[in-house]
Amino acid sequence: MENHILLCRPFHLPISRQKYSKEHFREREIGEAMDMEFPDAAELEWLEANATYPDEQEDDLEFDDDFLQQPPSPPGSEQIASQPDPKPTLSLPPKPSLLKPQLPINNRKRFLPDDPELSSDDGNVVVITEEKRSRVEDNDEDWLRYSPPKQPEEDGPMVVEQEPEPEEKILAKYALEIDGDCTPVTGLDGERVYAKICRVEDERVKKLEVKEYSTGLIQEPVRALMQRVEHDQFTKVLEASSEDLSEANLPIGAVVNEKLWVDKYAPSSFTELLSDEQTNRQVLMWLKQWDSCVFGVEIKSTTDDVLSSLKRHSLAVQHPRRSSKSSFGNSRGPRIDNENAHNDLHPENSDSDRMKDLWDKKHRKSGPPEQKILLLCGPPGLGKTTLAHVAAQHCGYRVVEINASDDRSSASIEAKIHDVVQMNSVNADSKPKCLVIDEIDGALNDGKGAVEVILKLVSAERKLRAGKENEPEGGNAGQKSSKKKHQKTSLLRPVICICNDLYAPALRPLRQVAKVHIFVQPTVSRVVNRLKYICNRERVKTSSIALTALAEYTDCDIRSCLNTLQFLNKKKETLNVLELSSQVVGRKDATRSAFDIWKEILQKRKVKQSKKSFNCFSSVSNDFETLHSLISHRGDYDLIFDGIHENLLQLHYTDPVMQKTVQCSDILGYSDIFHQYTMRTQHLSLQVYQSPLAMSIHGLVAQIGKPNIEWPKSFQRYRTMSIEKKEILHSWKNKIPPSISRHLSTKSFVEDLISPFLHILSPSTLKPVALHLLSEKEKADLAQLVNTMVSYATTYKNIKSDPSRFMHHGASDVSMLSLDPPIGEFINFKGYDSCHIVLASAVKVFLVHEAERQKILQGSSNLHSPSTGAESQEVLRCENSSTMSKASASLDKTTHFRDPSRQKQFDLPSASGQNKRSAGGTTASGKVGLPEGKKKQFVDSRSFFDRFRKPSDKTPQGNDHAKLKQKLEERDSRPLLFKFNEGYTNAVKRPVRIHEFLK
Amino acid sequence: MLWVDKYRPKTLDKVIVHQDVAQNLRKLVSEGDCPHLLFYGPPGSGKKTLIMALLRQIFGPSADKVKVENKIWKVDAGTRTIDVELTTLSSTHHVELNPSDAGFQDRYVVQEIIKEMAKNRPIDTKGKKGFKVLVLNEVDKLSREAQHSLRRTMEKYSASCRLILCSNSSSKVTEAVRSRCLNVRINAPMEEEIVSVLEFIAKKEGLQFPQGFAARIVEKSNRNLRRAVLTFESCRVQQYPFTNNQTVPPMDWEQYVSEIASDIMKEQSPKRLFEVRGKLYELLTNCIPPEIILKRLLFELLKKLDSELKHEVTNWAAHYEHRMRLGQKAIFHLEAFVAKFMSIYKSFLISTFG
Repeated sequence: MENHILLCRPFHLPISRQKYSKEHFREREIGEAMDMEFPDAAELEWLEANATYPDEQEDDLEFDDDFLQQPPSPPGSEQIASQPDPKPTLSLPPKPSLLKPQLPINNRKRFLPDDPELSSDDGNVVVITEEKRSRVEDNDEDWLRYSPPKQPEEDGPMVVEQEPEPEEKILAKYALEIDGDCTPVTGLDGERVYAKICRVEDERVKKLEVKEYSTGLIQEPVRALMQRVEHDQFTKVLEASSEDLSEANLPIGAVVNEKLWVDKYAPSSFTELLSDEQTNRQVLMWLKQWDSCVFGVEIKSTTDDVLSSLKRHSLAVQHPRRSSKSSFGNSRGPRIDNENAHNDLHPENSDSDRMKDLWDKKHRKSGPPEQKILLLCGPPGLGKTTLAHVAAQHCGYRVVEINASDDRSSASIEAKIHDVVQMNSVNADSKPKCLVIDEIDGALNDGKGAVEVILKLVSAERKLRAGKENEPEGGNAGQKSSKKKHQKTSLLRPVICICNDLYAPALRPLRQVAKVHIFVQPTVSRVVNRLKYICNRERVKTSSIALTALAEYTDCDIRSCLNTLQFLNKKKETLNVLELSSQVVGRKDATRSAFDIWKEILQKRKVKQSKKSFNCFSSVSNDFETLHSLISHRGDYDLIFDGIHENLLQLHYTDPVMQKTVQCSDILGYSDIFHQYTMRTQHLSLQVYQSPLAMSIHGLVAQIGKPNIEWPKSFQRYRTMSIEKKEILHSWKNKIPPSISRHLSTKSFVEDLISPFLHILSPSTLKPVALHLLSEKEKADLAQLVNTMVSYATTYKNIKSDPSRFMHHGASDVSMLSLDPPIGEFINFKGYDSCHIVLASAVKVFLVHEAERQKILQGSSNLHSPSTGAESQEVLRCENSSTMSKASASLDKTTHFRDPSRQKQFDLPSASGQNKRSAGGTTASGKVGLPEGKKKQFVDSRSFFDRFRKPSDKTPQGNDHAKLKQKLEERDSRPLLFKFNEGYTNAVKRPVRIHEFLK
Repeated sequence: MLWVDKYRPKTLDKVIVHQDVAQNLRKLVSEGDCPHLLFYGPPGSGKKTLIMALLRQIFGPSADKVKVENKIWKVDAGTRTIDVELTTLSSTHHVELNPSDAGFQDRYVVQEIIKEMAKNRPIDTKGKKGFKVLVLNEVDKLSREAQHSLRRTMEKYSASCRLILCSNSSSKVTEAVRSRCLNVRINAPMEEEIVSVLEFIAKKEGLQFPQGFAARIVEKSNRNLRRAVLTFESCRVQQYPFTNNQTVPPMDWEQYVSEIASDIMKEQSPKRLFEVRGKLYELLTNCIPPEIILKRLLFELLKKLDSELKHEVTNWAAHYEHRMRLGQKAIFHLEAFVAKFMSIYKSFLISTFG
């Protein structure tokens, strides 16, 4: 930007005259107020010139226009003014069309700093009433002195010239005295002077250009413009800085230095961002996609060409939302005008319009972007936060930041997010909010809270959308759904999350739903350029070599660079290339992701030629240092070595006799032993020695080529799989009867048993024919096989066919029979063809059937054969008569229980009925219905006289029991009689053993 | 039932292999005093069979009636209580358990559960034996701490409780425990013994087999009786009557290891090593213990190696097995051995063939 210098020279007016004129003016003001041409305007202008001048230039312009319309200046003066002025007023010749009257003042010059960033206008007109000169002068002096802190972003140095220039007149009593355009000005006290209007021409042109850009009326793509602007800025800066550093007398107060440079030079506009262009644009693009949702209006300026130009650079964007005519979502709260969108505001849609819009929306899918959350990640100091802020501001949002310093418990953050994301502020004019959650990976639990809330919002949105899809289309449905949208919680505002480690466990769920942008380091040259610029601004003497070294040392962490520079500046030291490491203050104690560490270990850094030339030696030790700190900062040695192990053999290192490989695997082995030892003895301080192990691997195999690094999955997979398989073996072992399984351990299963067992289970001689067609020998074989299957608790089971598992036989079957404890899998090694015969599925079905039969027979024979020994007999008795004895016991009990009561109610007429009923009840409760007649008999025998016989009956309990048992046996031996009662469920019930059917 | 189970000797009289051991054990029981016993020997040599027969000898047929119990024990370990899940197999007179199943919590099993069991005197004092027996399997897998805790228990409750320990290798049982037991070494049966067992089974099953067939099976079985019987049965199932050139089905994992070995012999490069790693992972995934893989791999490699290298390779195999036992991630060490072998073999090839 150009420096505008307007020279102001003090009036040399006698004080007495000033006083006089003041009084005189006041009198005239009272008397001849009507005569004044523009008393109000002048007054206003006067105020502004004194107080709010630099900020209110827009107003000045208006006044200028007013003055322009009013022609106090002779037309001839225009010609004069248009001549380039040779004198050092530095007022440049104005464009003819935009000419302003210029008023020369006799012997005073004032010059105003122009702010290139803020000023929307440039025609700086100095109109100063001479009455207030002395005061104004003081004010101006102050103002001049303090102006730099007010405008820290000012690009050029400012030159103040104080030498008097008697020839030039800016303010004069008479218009004739003024050389060029002039405007009449009336002071507060009524005195009129003519002020020269001077302006700078090229400034205006530039401003117009800028305006054009913002309204999107230009033909050039945004990218080109941005590049040009950026380039211009840099060149200007460089020019300015190279011109002269002599402006040491510039009054940069102590205030300036108290501010951190990092804050001071933080980019405030999108074009100043240092981070990667593509990322920047993608972020902007993503934010732009919210426009239709948030602002409720389509932004014409960001239509097609702009979007497409953005899109060209943001390759990852999936569905760029083209702006359409529809303005879905405008019913949500007040409309907020975007800075880019001032040209077309839709009128409020009618209901029918809205329905149509909804319809449109369904088809064109205009609305918030697919992924509602943006996740920026990258190492510290690359400007993630800055980008988020700048981009959001650029798109017209108000940034609400939640960072690690805030309370981030789940509940509190939820309220906050809801506030920000789902509500529109009441004031129509305030900007919509954009939530920036910084350091989301920060603390484990806290970050999780935020992540959960966000995920909840996103999933709610998903459901809503899904529900909407299902709803029948049409006017009513549309309205309903839009209503629903209000009720439900959903994300209506962009949310940007920022993290350092993308692979933090807390972020895992978020990663899946968010649009992830990974920050890459900006190029060193870019960083150095900016650093140079800042150094020039701060008048720090540096060399670009030193800056480059600094940038490389800090991994392009611009924050660290700036802090270092500022620190050195304070110490009055200069950046020294050789002692960089000692000079850098805040060495990053960053833990890098495991991937980075593996890359560092397995990849050799390119040694730059320049570096090599002057200190090859120190660079080696430097590498050593960095690697060491890197690995030990991470600390997770187990994982690091797993990763090395996983990726080591994929490297392309030359190794003719495998020496290096042997060494590396030895080192890995050492680390494993080491790890085991430290863990066992809990001497965790020994872990320090792990990182040298990793570094020696680096020394052995590191290559310059970029390694293709994978996460160490195979070890974990092996671990989980083997646990799974062990579990299978365990459960199998538990199923096998103990008399067999006691001789086996799970280890011997896999080592000795499974292979021959599978052979035994699949005899080649077995033919899938009916049982009666088999020869005696075959039958014996089959029986043996079935017996084995039963005793080893194996069977065939229907499973979904897995073609990889059963490749060698008919994979066409949808489902097939496979062994139930899946033992077959234990010999299915990858790339191994076992010579096991697989039975035809018909045989398998047959075997399953036979095995089931065998099992049942075995079970029942176990129960019934009396020759199975004492224990089984006991079991038999227990099993067989448990139900019956229970029933009889309960019968006995009830009768005993009832006896005393019955004796009391001896004469009650209902006694026998009750008795009957109770007997019926007990049999029912016994669950085993005895044959009808027996029951009757039972009850009858106990009916009246039995009562007196009871005591004698009760004593021989065993006798009673035996009798009952005998009865039961009698019953069991009896042939079955079924009586079917139509429509009743209480048909004859009788326990029947399966073996009776199988006989 | 498999033949392994069918023809397993139930009593000490009926054993075919280790008859001398059985004799001694019978004598021990008949004298009425049974010390703590430590059975050790390679797998498939008949340790468990002997133990079961011994139990039957002591307690009579009731020792055969066992039931399985899966119980979660609550162990009070100072500040917290630990749940230890343990499967026990018990009859009225004895309890069998596998304390190493509890993993790193085996110490609590020994300190609490075994102690608890040992403390309780058998209820059935009417029986002829005034003690009960605890059979601990896989003692060599117990951690050092657990074995140390075992010592005192063995002494203190020896009046009411006898321990029968069973392990594969006595060297992994601490000296202190070993010295408290009568050590019974059950070595792998000689090949002739196994052949006689097979002949016994064949006679019982009424099978005929040609001369030398049994010897072939035995040769493949690596002097493992269980494996020999199983292989024999699988041969019978695959093809009967036996022929002299009938293939004896190999163990699948051993076959796989030999494939790995031939892979290694074919090419020595990091790429090949990577392939080998995948195969080793396959084996490990299928629960084949890494020590056995290493042993088998060495065996397979030695078969194909010149005699001058054999010594060196064996030396390295021992070296890496040692490290494997010290460490945790078996794959690292297995792979290191393979790498080492490749290196040795490759340099040997270069030096001999130029």
